[in-house]
Amino acid sequence: MKTKYIIVAAGLAAVLLTHSSCEKVSPSGVLMAGTAVEDRVQMSEKYYKQYLVDYKLDADLMYKDGMDNKGEYTFLVGADSHLTTDPGRMDEMLQIGLDNDDLLYVHLGDIADTKPEYYIVLDSLLAQAKGRYVAKNYEVNEYGRFIYKRNPYDIMGEEYASIKYPFFPVVGNHDLTHNGWAMWCNIFGSSFYEFDVFVGDDEDTGKYNYDHFIFLDTASGTLGKTQIDLIEKGVLDGDVHYRHTFVFSHTNIFRPSALQFASTFAREETFFLLKQFEEWGADIVFCGHVHKWDEREYNKVTYLTLDSMSERNSPEPGDYLVRVHVLADGSITWERVHMSYVAKNA
Amino acid sequence: MFLTMLFALSLGVHAQAYCGEHQFDGEHKNEVSSYVMGGDNVVSGRFGGLAGSYTHHFTSRWHVGGDAQVQFYKQLYSIDVQGGYRVPVKYGHIYFDAKGLLNFYHRWGFTESIFNLSATWESAYVDIRLGESLIHFRSTSWGIKYGYTEPLTLTFGIGANIRHRSNPWNVGLFFRNYDEFYYENWNINWGIRFYAPLHRQLRLYGEFNVRPAGSISQLASRYEGSLKLGLKYKF
Repeated sequence: MKTKYIIVAAGLAAVLLTHSSCEKVSPSGVLMAGTAVEDRVQMSEKYYKQYLVDYKLDADLMYKDGMDNKGEYTFLVGADSHLTTDPGRMDEMLQIGLDNDDLLYVHLGDIADTKPEYYIVLDSLLAQAKGRYVAKNYEVNEYGRFIYKRNPYDIMGEEYASIKYPFFPVVGNHDLTHNGWAMWCNIFGSSFYEFDVFVGDDEDTGKYNYDHFIFLDTASGTLGKTQIDLIEKGVLDGDVHYRHTFVFSHTNIFRPSALQFASTFAREETFFLLKQFEEWGADIVFCGHVHKWDEREYNKVTYLTLDSMSERNSPEPGDYLVRVHVLADGSITWERVHMSYVAKNA
Repeated sequence: MFLTMLFALSLGVHAQAYCGEHQFDGEHKNEVSSYVMGGDNVVSGRFGGLAGSYTHHFTSRWHVGGDAQVQFYKQLYSIDVQGGYRVPVKYGHIYFDAKGLLNFYHRWGFTESIFNLSATWESAYVDIRLGESLIHFRSTSWGIKYGYTEPLTLTFGIGANIRHRSNPWNVGLFFRNYDEFYYENWNINWGIRFYAPLHRQLRLYGEFNVRPAGSISQLASRYEGSLKLGLKYKF
């Protein structure tokens, strides 16, 4: 009899936890003390408005063989690196991006497995990658300022610290455990943001053209009330009409197969997102989380779910990255990109 | 007054086993039940709703039924038909159920059709359900309609009561990846359920349901909490 009442008491305790100010309701959530999505989005929104809202990348400066490429560019996407002490695959991704002159690199979350030392490894790796990126793309003028080689109009240059390394992540669920958010946001700032890529002006109309990149915080399996409200207010809509829109989310929308049990969005949120992607005019939605490749099309939107690029989850070399080609005529193609790094202790 | 209102709602059309409601007593032929609900959802905000259910027992083994619900603010409208067969076993009963469900998520312009096959083992204190769902959804708000059929979705649930199922009142806990009007993947909802007698033929029942987003490994966050309170009449 005593056991029965303990069960009921446990249930009541769980209910009380649910309706306390703490929004996490899972037993593990309570025990593991991750930062909740509402808190993350509120912090991210502040960072986004302060540092990213006016941020723009310029693809029109992407020259090939000295010729204006008319806004043609590529970008590279990887997912679920689960970086530990061996950053080989992440290093390989960044080097592939650098070698190919990709305009930007996107990571779809679960970037490291939330021990402080793993984030120290990640931070150090990104610092080295930025050094290689700057060495290739900038030259130092007589005043010690860095001039972007591809911008013939850049005569002032900038300080090394102010050069933004074009690596853009979304946050994943493994980035949150053991207070991982504190380390993640210390490196990346915001989990909820958008920016434009300038792709040149129309020769006939003179109108400027942009592509749009949107990054969602879906690490908790939900956008949360705050993020939904911000989306409905149009915070991520941008301020111009876009030629292309690309959306990045950790949690996947579509399951690759019946045997993939990684959680997806609840029903209402799935339908909310599908409708929102349509309203944004999304061309491709990129997802991770489930560690299984999947390609689907729904309502003219392509949904690509990437396999894990982690050397632990995917020890054999394979096509774990995706490169998107945005061509001068406005068309889009994409290809899977091979990774060959094998873990040192494999 | 409140109970009278609830009873008035019992004119509608009970699919879900509310804390051992499955077992047929072999006497009555019909069951009508209805409940009111209220809750808070991350996407749609606070909502209320009504649901009703009817079950007819052809024999002590076979039954058919139907359910319907309206959720205000979320603008969700659902209707289903179902049938099942009971097999007595040494420790309890096993029920084989089939269900066809239609959901209209009017707020986002989606129609969802679901077909579920499940087997439920119901013992004195514990019930376990396993099954599969075939889910198809279709957008209806755009000029061109787009449909999508999901890979098969596993259905599982477990419930436990503090008293023997034959007692007139009971309280229990449940964990499951479905509810009366939805089936999901690895999003496990859980809560407390109860029933209590009001009359020989009339029973009060209800449940408090927590529906997190994301799996436990995903540091699940609050997605939806709801309370259901209803009456069931046997005749």
